[in-house]
Amino acid sequence: MKMGDIRYLTKEGIKNTWANRLMTLASIGVLVACMVVIGLAVLISENGNKALGDLEKQNVVIAYMKDYSWALYGRETDDTKTSDSKAEEAKTNDTSTKQETDDAKETDDAAATETPDENGIKQSDYYIHNDEEAKELCRQIEKIDNVKKVEFISSAEGLKTVTEKMFKEEEQYFSFLNDDNPLPCAAKITMNSMEKFDATIRKIENMQEIDIVRSQADSAKKIVAIKNGVQVAGMWMVSILLLISLVIVSNTIRITMYSRKLEISIMKAVGATNAFVRLPFVVEGVTIGLISALISEGLLYFCYRVVTEKISNIIGTTVIPFSEMALTLLGIFAAIGIVSGILGSSIMISKYLRKEGSEFAAI
Amino acid sequence: MSENVAETNSALTNEVPVIEFKGVSKRYANGTHALEDVNIRINKGEFVFVVGSSGAGKSTFMKLIMREEKANTGTIKVNGFNLTKMRRKQVPMLRRTMGIVFQDFRLIPKMTVFDNVAFAMHVVGAPNRRIRKEVTNALSAVGLGDKARSMPNELSGGEQQRVGIARALVNNPALIIADEPTGNVDPNMSYDIVSMLTAINKMGTTVLMVTHDHQLVREFKQRVIMLDSGKIVADNTAGGDEE
Repeated sequence: MKMGDIRYLTKEGIKNTWANRLMTLASIGVLVACMVVIGLAVLISENGNKALGDLEKQNVVIAYMKDYSWALYGRETDDTKTSDSKAEEAKTNDTSTKQETDDAKETDDAAATETPDENGIKQSDYYIHNDEEAKELCRQIEKIDNVKKVEFISSAEGLKTVTEKMFKEEEQYFSFLNDDNPLPCAAKITMNSMEKFDATIRKIENMQEIDIVRSQADSAKKIVAIKNGVQVAGMWMVSILLLISLVIVSNTIRITMYSRKLEISIMKAVGATNAFVRLPFVVEGVTIGLISALISEGLLYFCYRVVTEKISNIIGTTVIPFSEMALTLLGIFAAIGIVSGILGSSIMISKYLRKEGSEFAAI
Repeated sequence: MSENVAETNSALTNEVPVIEFKGVSKRYANGTHALEDVNIRINKGEFVFVVGSSGAGKSTFMKLIMREEKANTGTIKVNGFNLTKMRRKQVPMLRRTMGIVFQDFRLIPKMTVFDNVAFAMHVVGAPNRRIRKEVTNALSAVGLGDKARSMPNELSGGEQQRVGIARALVNNPALIIADEPTGNVDPNMSYDIVSMLTAINKMGTTVLMVTHDHQLVREFKQRVIMLDSGKIVADNTAGGDEE
């Protein structure tokens, strides 16, 4: 086919898009809806990846200590863990000496004679009795392999960090906590290598004086789960929407073809090749696809800006700026538009191209 | 593409038949025997009327020439193409060697007269400058030089058919097939249309015209092929209607 033919047929295709503007509009509407949903799935997935990457970069964990607050507020809920660890400890310490057993007996005897305070807590019910003991524990943690730095956080400092993140009204509401701080003291631990992350956490958790270690791993797992869910659901959704796009474009082209069956029959009678008959319809399909891609890009930009501004204000999280994703999304949309345009029109026109002369009148 | 048409046309001599049917039979899937053992030869420069009642096989005869249908048995040669062995891809090349005039004109209503004729040249990939020149010439030849910018619905039935003839003529085909071109026009205009086709024939183009109008056949005294129940029952090369 000559360049002149291509120019002529492209012009015809664009003219047809305008001539069938109602159907074109309907197709663009459905295609835009499909593309926006696809774009949203891509943006959610990419933001999930980013959040995960950010969390992975944070090699800091907080280890909470078994101090008076723990004995008062957290011990009962932690019974399972304590008894489990005790059982584990008992298992691993099968070879303990008789002397150690005797020492424990003496401690138990002392605890039995000790008088509980007004909250019913005895000194022997918890392990960290003052800041000195807490700091000593920090020094012990520092000796563990892969631990780079340990910073002691007192209960008061912990509470201050929490209240700083609150709105003014919330801060005022929780002001009673200043007199009755429920937070246990903690150690902020920085690690050398993320590869030994889990092993280091286990070692810290096995220490008798440590209640629980909070790392971002939990959040990371949740984000991975959400991201995987979005990816699987997104793939299904994208596949279904692509199929819908194909059907929509095919349908528009079918209607165009129906309205142009006279033209097609004349084309064939005067010796038009199949490619010559097909090209204007393909151009029409691709034009619809590309217009839809541009509208979807604009619409998604607007929605994303509004939604991300709100999210950033509420949870203070940073999201990927749209400009970073704009070209990728436009590429995806254009690809969907072009593929559905070419496939949709080709499928439909192939049926018509097999027809001859008077058969067109019967369509 | 038009060069190909020209080559094909120049290759055709009086000795080479423009249309040749040898033992051609056509039976449709529903069991109808449309044509049975048809043998015919139409040479370059002939004007042939094809007559016959409804269901005689005229339409099938034309469809076989245009390769809209394939014969079940026998061989068909048109403008040097062997239609029996022809692949689907070659069909457009065959059709470019012929011009078709339809009973119902088949003009595209949203296009001007000029564009309707030019459309046939665009299809064969002719350059714009040539299209302008040839379309103007073709419209002048059918007496519609001043109606180039008119829309089809602004023309009478006879004028519309003349646009159809200009469209069939514009690619300078070796063969013009006219399928009842006078079926939708008044008797006076019918005479004009056949006169026009006769004039085109005199310039060397073979014309094959299907008609029901025996008056015209008698008046123009050309070769007449009569079909009945799928068989050729008369082939009057001396001209005139046998009925």
